[in-house]
Amino acid sequence: MSPVSQQPASRPLGPLLLRKKGFSLFGITRASLVRRFFSAMASVAIIVLVLIMVFLLRDGAGFLSTYRASLDVYRKSGMELCDLLEQPVREMQDKSTSLLRRALAHELATLTGEAKQRRDAVVVLIGKVQAMSAPERAALEVVLTASAPPETLADPRDQLRQATSRAAMSIPIPSVLSSREVEQFRRELATLTPENTELLPMLTALEAEFARQDTAARAQFAPLSAAVAACEQAPAALYETLVPLHKHARNTKELAQKRLSSRDQPEVHFPDQLKPILDARETLLTRLDDYGSRLKQAQAALPAETRSEEAAELLAQVRELLPEQAVQTAGIREKVLEWDGMHTVSMFHAALGFCFGPHWITNSPWQDFYGVVPLLTGSVLISVIALLIATPLSIAAAVYTSQFASDREKEYIKPVIEFIQAIPSIVLGFIGIALLGDLIKSVSHWPLLAWLPGFPIEERLNMFNAGCLLALMAVPTMFSLAEDALNSVPQSYAAASEALGATKLQTVFRVIVPAALSGILAGILLGLGRVIGETMVVLLVAGNRIAIPDFGDGLGVVFQPAHTLTGIIAQELGEVSRGSGHWQALFMVGILLFIISLVVNWCARAFARRLETPKS
Amino acid sequence: MSASNPFSGDNDSARRRETAMRWLLRLGSYFVVFVTVAIFAHISHKGLPALLKPEFPYIDTSFLTELPGTLHVIEDKQGRVTQTSPQEAETIKKQLGNELRSEKTISYAGGGILGPIVGTALLVLVSVTVALFLGVCCAIYLSEYAKKGKFIEMVRLAILNLAGVPSVVFGLFGLGAFVLTAPVLTDLPADRAVFVIPLGFTNLSFQGWDTCVLSGGFTLAFVILPVIITASEQCLQAVPQGFRETSMALGATRWQTIWRSVLPFATPGILTSTILGIARAAGETAPIMFTAALAFKDKLPWQKDLPPLPADAGMFAHWEQSVQRCLGVFTESVQALPYHIYTLAAKIPQNEYSEQAQYGSVFVFLILVASLAATSIWLRIHLRKKYKW
Repeated sequence: MSPVSQQPASRPLGPLLLRKKGFSLFGITRASLVRRFFSAMASVAIIVLVLIMVFLLRDGAGFLSTYRASLDVYRKSGMELCDLLEQPVREMQDKSTSLLRRALAHELATLTGEAKQRRDAVVVLIGKVQAMSAPERAALEVVLTASAPPETLADPRDQLRQATSRAAMSIPIPSVLSSREVEQFRRELATLTPENTELLPMLTALEAEFARQDTAARAQFAPLSAAVAACEQAPAALYETLVPLHKHARNTKELAQKRLSSRDQPEVHFPDQLKPILDARETLLTRLDDYGSRLKQAQAALPAETRSEEAAELLAQVRELLPEQAVQTAGIREKVLEWDGMHTVSMFHAALGFCFGPHWITNSPWQDFYGVVPLLTGSVLISVIALLIATPLSIAAAVYTSQFASDREKEYIKPVIEFIQAIPSIVLGFIGIALLGDLIKSVSHWPLLAWLPGFPIEERLNMFNAGCLLALMAVPTMFSLAEDALNSVPQSYAAASEALGATKLQTVFRVIVPAALSGILAGILLGLGRVIGETMVVLLVAGNRIAIPDFGDGLGVVFQPAHTLTGIIAQELGEVSRGSGHWQALFMVGILLFIISLVVNWCARAFARRLETPKS
Repeated sequence: MSASNPFSGDNDSARRRETAMRWLLRLGSYFVVFVTVAIFAHISHKGLPALLKPEFPYIDTSFLTELPGTLHVIEDKQGRVTQTSPQEAETIKKQLGNELRSEKTISYAGGGILGPIVGTALLVLVSVTVALFLGVCCAIYLSEYAKKGKFIEMVRLAILNLAGVPSVVFGLFGLGAFVLTAPVLTDLPADRAVFVIPLGFTNLSFQGWDTCVLSGGFTLAFVILPVIITASEQCLQAVPQGFRETSMALGATRWQTIWRSVLPFATPGILTSTILGIARAAGETAPIMFTAALAFKDKLPWQKDLPPLPADAGMFAHWEQSVQRCLGVFTESVQALPYHIYTLAAKIPQNEYSEQAQYGSVFVFLILVASLAATSIWLRIHLRKKYKW
């Protein structure tokens, strides 16, 4: 180094040797500049996390005040009062009338069952024959619409006639028709051409027969029919009173919205607007009491004896239900009396409405509700299903590969399970639509499995289907973490256990698995994080019905369709205008998801940290 | 035989239980393996026909080289069914004349999937470039510079949490940040701009990039960032400490040490893990739903209508236009393969004619993503054998 030789010998050599050449800007050397650059890059992770929160809040934060304002108008316009009265009544009505109608149908079927079966069979057969000759029919129509000359029509007409008679002769006819009737019916079926516009005589005859029996049966079950009609008519007067109120309330709401959108509009004076509705409150209450007494009358009119067992069972249910409903009516009455239309809706109320509201209703002509409960229930139920399936499988696989499997088995089990991670979620979602849905549905129709709750299922796309696919997605995460945890249990544990005479199985389940438990739990939690945040599978497969699942049928609830937190964002965000209440609500759902993911992650870390302690 | 060892008790039931348990565990692991293989086999079985044809050379690349379109299904009176494109459907209908029996159209299901493949490639290009730059820099800091402390704790915590954020939340973030807020240089700021900084000759307007490849790519970059950081850091840590000590002892600065003695040995590993990042970025759907993807587009991103140049335009004008064309690719919204599959699965009816497009796309997509992942895994094993120090 040349500078050294030029220096006087008296100065110390050390600092000079260590001095590095290089530029410095405002006292910042190049080395520290590089260092600062990298530390800035490292903070990107923190910055992104903060930015995510900032941007979610920017669009979501306004939600509470928007929703509060909307709910305020909902209350002050009197819409809330209408709903307070009408919704529970409608729900009660739906329940009791559907039970009664089913009971009546069962009763009628005891007398008219055969006639109905025969009529239905004939209708189905006619449809089938028409479907079998559909190509010829379509061909004839093409010629007819082309307004071709009449002589060209003969050929397609002839073909259609032939096809129809072929179908009529070959179609299998169920045994509800006697052999003589079958002969006659086949002859009639053969005449099913477009020129023949009249109903088949056989169908007409069977219809008439059925109608005659039905009238007779209805006469015989007159008390029950009357009870059904009475129950159906019970709230008619109440509904009638509500109609003008609805109109008035909606009108008030529109005025308020106009005022919100432009300052030129006159201000809405809510107390004046509300007056007609408050005036009607007394009438409404009398109508409600009237409804209660009608319910009692209907119950008194229920017939004591039935012909069919099903009807008896249903009527017993109705007998239990009606008194309950009378009690409920009293509850409604109290609520309506307590209701204060001028009490301003608070922020807290709006927040409660979001977190615990049971309805997610958007684009409604009446009132939008953004209650997150139906979505949260869907997300949680699906995650629980997925975890219940994935946990035993992945732990079994992890225990097997780390403790029992030979090296050759390991060589293909591990890559295959890790390969699952590479399958994109949209592909799994597609599998759910194209394959798994039908598979589950057809399996559920096996008579052998009819004892299972919820079987046979109607919906192809449901929570169970989504849960199965999400379980598959969660398996690799859980598997690799659990396997790592099992492998990192010190060899000496197993050795000590075996030295004490424990079998391999005892060693594994009493020593190794408990030692690795916190790692396994961390894996399960990370799997949960993956499952609850997954979007495409649930969007495609979960069925997208926005309603709280009906827990009434026990475990069968898993076969119902549902909507999820992630799915609702993906489905609705593309269609809403920026900055509207709906848009803000979706961002609020995003914030909720973000918080859930942070909490799950934090729990997983807490478990993982416990794993590290014994080793060190 | 049991008599040969007087100390072994009656172990029969214990042994039976052991065997049963072992088989139960084996059954569990094999079930997972079986399901995976079955899914793969099902998709291959149904999807492969989209790439095959009955005549020599048996491989039909048109599915990969055509743009998606509407599928026309034409049936004549003999019951022969032809599946064809809209243009050919007209000629076939004219030929058939009176023989035509019925015609059905299925949107999105015709043609090939070139558009989505190109779109996904562009998105992956942008996202991997951004994520690799940020991720490797972050990893270098964590592995080479960082000392234990509050800051490093926070960075690690942030990375862990970032990895757990649901992909649809990234989508919301991308929508808020890149589509609606990111800065652009423009002479005429839009009304929706959050704020505008006048620069004299032009304005820096925070009005967002709109839905385009750039927005989607940046969003995806943050989705895969944790993967890249973690993997790169592992690769850097795997370079023996001695390399650094030797370099520093020879008088190199820390940066010289990193650049000359650490990075070259870590690069193969980092690139390997990048491939895994690519597979992840290509597979994500939710982040690009609102930031980049379109359900349908009948042009490739570079086939844009630019105003025709005057006849006497110089070379510079031509050159400028082709540059504009190339850069314009990143400001277009595109079709992407996962979103195309979503459209095919959710928006059109499930029948025998749509099936081929659906399974074909899924098959190609799965093969692309799986081969990327497999390459990465294979390279990792291979490199581990090669670099042993």
